[in-house]
Amino acid sequence: MFGYVTPCKMELKIKDYEKFKAYYCGLCRSIKSSYGQLPRLTLNYDMTFLAILLDSLSEDKYNFTKFSCAVHPLKKRLMIHNNMALDYAAFCNTTLAYYKLMDDVYDNKTMKSKVFSLFLKNYLSKSKIEYTEVINYTKEKLSLLSTLEATPVNLSIDELSHVFADLTGFIVSFYYKDAPFKENLYWLGYNLGKWIYIIDAYDDLEKDIKSDSFNAINSLFNLEKLDFKSFSKIIKPRINYILTTCAEQCLKNLNSLPLIKNEDILYNILELGLMEKMNRVFNESDNIDNLKGVEYKDDRSI
Amino acid sequence: MIDPYEVLGVRKGTSKEDIKKAYREQAKKYHPDQYGDNPLKDLAEEKMQELNEAYDYLMKNSSSSSSSSSSSSYGSSTDYNSSNNYGSSSNSDYTNKDIYQSIRMDLNSGNLASAEQKLGSMNTKTAEWNYLMGMVHLKKSWHDSAYNFISKACSLEPTNIEYRRSFNELSTRNTNYRDNYYGRRNRDSDMGNMCLNLWCADSICECLGGDLISCC
Repeated sequence: MFGYVTPCKMELKIKDYEKFKAYYCGLCRSIKSSYGQLPRLTLNYDMTFLAILLDSLSEDKYNFTKFSCAVHPLKKRLMIHNNMALDYAAFCNTTLAYYKLMDDVYDNKTMKSKVFSLFLKNYLSKSKIEYTEVINYTKEKLSLLSTLEATPVNLSIDELSHVFADLTGFIVSFYYKDAPFKENLYWLGYNLGKWIYIIDAYDDLEKDIKSDSFNAINSLFNLEKLDFKSFSKIIKPRINYILTTCAEQCLKNLNSLPLIKNEDILYNILELGLMEKMNRVFNESDNIDNLKGVEYKDDRSI
Repeated sequence: MIDPYEVLGVRKGTSKEDIKKAYREQAKKYHPDQYGDNPLKDLAEEKMQELNEAYDYLMKNSSSSSSSSSSSSYGSSTDYNSSNNYGSSSNSDYTNKDIYQSIRMDLNSGNLASAEQKLGSMNTKTAEWNYLMGMVHLKKSWHDSAYNFISKACSLEPTNIEYRRSFNELSTRNTNYRDNYYGRRNRDSDMGNMCLNLWCADSICECLGGDLISCC
């Protein structure tokens, strides 16, 4: 479900690109130092965005260090460390990954997810006490989501996606829970969460219809059990409308935040990065786009 | 003055039921929503307004006299126009007016829960009900249902400017947002474009006897 919130690399300045990577590496390192080696495997870009967003509102100076990465041993890289926002993002990363896995354990009962989740549970117990509220909230909301997904009768897409959207809003705004801009953070998170939930469902639509597994969009809208080709043609404009509105609302809320740094990266992600992802998801088959299309070839933007 | 019977395509003295049927058929044909950005949309909107006026007029008057179109001056009846701005001018509307007003106040002060609860307790679902429900959902970021409610309000009362404006705003926001992305793509050709524009300007100047760039 993760990894959709990334910058539009082609429009990023080199310095911002390096900064983004430094946050990414910093997040990876922070997960390792507070939770251990294994949770590092759950590292994702969405949480990098969370760290960048939360850090942009604090007055702390950047703390760059050079280091060499175990995965890419030859090159020296920059990373940001000793950063509260990064630590919080690392915590959220691990928590979400754990409960998402627990979900999979119930869903398909594969050995892999079972073993993995057992390990993660151990790691999670190391997290800070002041974050317990987040753990409980995540647990409650994700289990609610899986009950709703099990019997999606008479639900609208807004009702179903509300659960995940609300959770995201909570996680994003919890870090600054006493600040005056908390509301803006919540709504930014809310819309981003909804965007992630729906774009993920649409992205998996073809695969899920083929394998007959649960898909939010399929079970809510495809009442006549059409095949992917004809169904996606009908539903595409509607999904496109919802996603664009969510993204637009994210940007609107970002505009009212008192950003101190990282402005260019954040605007790049919410203005262009999200659009780029939508473009990719909607025009999977015909994406020979000048410049912007270059990076789709290997399906990863960074 | 247009004959309302002609607008709806029915004969004089047709029963109310048939008028309703004819109206529905015509409204389906001309509803502006289906035209998207098509230039025909304005035309359709105009036609739709004519249809609505004719329909309202006939509904009010067809029972009283069958030869109404000859005497009374429909079209210029101002009382009709003013009543149309508020709901569908039925009786229940007057009793609901106060509730709608308080819901609007709730919306302005951000008290969504109260607004939603009041709307939920109402039985008659008029255009205004749909519109206000849409506004509540818009504030909750329930974009899909907000869109549905507001477009329902527009189709129930196509002449209402407030509903139509909100509806149009929904798509304008998205277009503006998308343009951020698509606009950037064409920027690479800007330099070439500028040269071309200069050359054009120069040519035009020379045609008129002046000269913008003296060397060519």
